[in-house]
Amino acid sequence: MYHLALKMLFADRAKYIMLVSGLTFAALLMTQQAAVFFGILDWTNGNLKNMRAQIWVVDPKVEQANEIKPMRDTDVSRVRTVPGVAWAVPMYWSVQQARLQDGTFKPIQLVGIDSTTMVGQPGNIIAGKLEDLRLPNTVMIDDLAVERLSRGRAKTIGIGDTFEINDKEARIVGICKTEKSFFGYPYVFTTYDQALQFAPKVRKMLSFILAHPAPGWTAEQAVIQIKKQTGLGAFTEGQFSVSTVLWFFRNTGIPMSFGTTILLGFIVGVAIAGQTFYSFILENLRHIGALKAMGASDWMLTRMVLLQSFTVGLIGYGIGIGLTVLFGLAVLKKGMPPFALPYQLPLFTFVVIMFICAFAAVLGILRIRKLEPAIVFRG
Amino acid sequence: MNTEITNNSKNGFAVQVRNVTKTFGTGEARTQALKGVDFDAREGELLMIVGPSGCGKTTLLSVIAGTLEFEEGEVDVFHARLHGMSKSAITNFRGGSIGFIFQQFNLIPTLTCIENVSVPLLINGVSRAIAEKKAAEVLALVGLGGRGHDRPSNLSGGQQQRVAIARALVHEPKLIICDEPTSALDKDTGHKIMELLRDVARAPGRCVIVVTHDPRIYQFADRMTEMEDGRVQRVHEAPQAGFSHTHQ
Ligand SMILES: Nc1ncnc2c1ncn2[C@@H]1O[C@H](COP(=O)(O)OP(=O)(O)OP(=O)(O)O)[C@@H](O)[C@H]1O
Ligand SMILES: [Mg+2]
Repeated sequence: MYHLALKMLFADRAKYIMLVSGLTFAALLMTQQAAVFFGILDWTNGNLKNMRAQIWVVDPKVEQANEIKPMRDTDVSRVRTVPGVAWAVPMYWSVQQARLQDGTFKPIQLVGIDSTTMVGQPGNIIAGKLEDLRLPNTVMIDDLAVERLSRGRAKTIGIGDTFEINDKEARIVGICKTEKSFFGYPYVFTTYDQALQFAPKVRKMLSFILAHPAPGWTAEQAVIQIKKQTGLGAFTEGQFSVSTVLWFFRNTGIPMSFGTTILLGFIVGVAIAGQTFYSFILENLRHIGALKAMGASDWMLTRMVLLQSFTVGLIGYGIGIGLTVLFGLAVLKKGMPPFALPYQLPLFTFVVIMFICAFAAVLGILRIRKLEPAIVFRG
Repeated sequence: MNTEITNNSKNGFAVQVRNVTKTFGTGEARTQALKGVDFDAREGELLMIVGPSGCGKTTLLSVIAGTLEFEEGEVDVFHARLHGMSKSAITNFRGGSIGFIFQQFNLIPTLTCIENVSVPLLINGVSRAIAEKKAAEVLALVGLGGRGHDRPSNLSGGQQQRVAIARALVHEPKLIICDEPTSALDKDTGHKIMELLRDVARAPGRCVIVVTHDPRIYQFADRMTEMEDGRVQRVHEAPQAGFSHTHQ
């Protein structure tokens, strides 16, 4: 009977296309919007991915990794004295303007790392040597900076070239690769001391303290100890990442607006699939009644209906995810908009689409169960 | 008429109905469609049920076919006692023992004739290949050998009813139930359909019950049961030719 159930479904072209496109639309909208949303969340954690440390110490009011409330330089030594801390180093991070050769300005993210330990260094250096950062007025820039800072030059900027940060000359000694960040500006790495020279002078300049747990301590234990003893804020890398994401949930309309769109996809899916499938069942009620009279059990008809609804579900889901992936491939090449497709996301969409199909099927099945086989004899 | 139902494998009865009642609706809308019906059909006969509109013919047919629950009485169809049978047992019984022919044919328009005819076999768990092979054979028997892969809509009304007959016969049920099988057909086509059904009824161990309003086909009845107001009034056991006159 199953092949007949499918044939009946496919033969009703209009409803079949309506069902598949409704579910495709729902799957596409939900997955694509969620992927862009996850992409944004990913970007908010850019700093944490580009400057690695197990423990981040910040001003107690700081909740997320893209925000700074500078601390005193002496805070570094206070953290060093906390039991459970193996070492602690300063880090500078701020958005500055780089002046290009043609006189225009481009925003950059200036990162100053501890010159002795180089903790917080970029993870993926593709040209030059990190040690050269110890030479005066030197910086290491990321690939995005290469692209952005090359403006107005005959050939792309590279090692040995210079540009200005706040009227001070910066010489490039290395190129690295970085992950996309929330601000979307290129990263310019230098030493902590050098960063303080590039940046305008203010009273407090210490952005982050990066630390490492002592042997026998977990990062979590050390974080608790740091907070208790210094009154500063402290996070493990993972905690800081979660805190950053939660901050965006609480303080921006981003999750709300994406959530609304995703919900809309769901509602449209339920409405189109539910309504179309139910009218498909209603239109076939006469035939279903005849099948019932001829001895088809409710359970057999239930399986036929489930097969029909899950078939359109699978096809719609497949096309929807396929389109999402195409979209993803296109935008990942361009870098905009953000896009992240963790495997849980298609899985989630799959569950939601199957739920929609089950819902649509149940509407039909309830109707079929109520159907008296005797109706086949009534005009 | 209120004799107990005896073992009908010996007495040649295909169907025995005793004192069956059926009421639709409640309160104001309450209609008693069957008011204690007694009814018999014999093996090897084509039996017609006739009577004025609303007298309960379709209701009785539905009870015999096991598509409608009834309140009181006993219904025995080829050994199967429908009274007191569970719902799923009745569903099984219908699938195995009854062939249905409807006024509006009730063929599924998106399926080919072979597929339509194979349905009762598929319901009974026969494999697709075997079911379609058998369906093609039965279609050939009703004179539609070449039309198996057509859709019903490409066939005339009479041909569609032949497909429906093929579907009613394909699983070799003992009892064939027809409600107004010719009322959607013209006279000649109706006659051809009835000839086919009469041949079917003649097969051993078979019985065809036809509900009809159509005096043009009375001549095909072996016997005729006349209903009135929820009861069986008369049973005519007359030579076939006589019916067309006595019942016009
Ligand atoms: N499902 C139902 N709900 C309510 N009343 C019903 C139902 N089915 C039949 N009836 C009533 O039961 C009575 C008998 O109906 P039935 O259809 O058996 O008559 P019939 O002899 O087949 O009539 P016709 O010749 O018009 O087909 C009628 O009064 C009808 O209105
Ligand atoms: Mg009727």
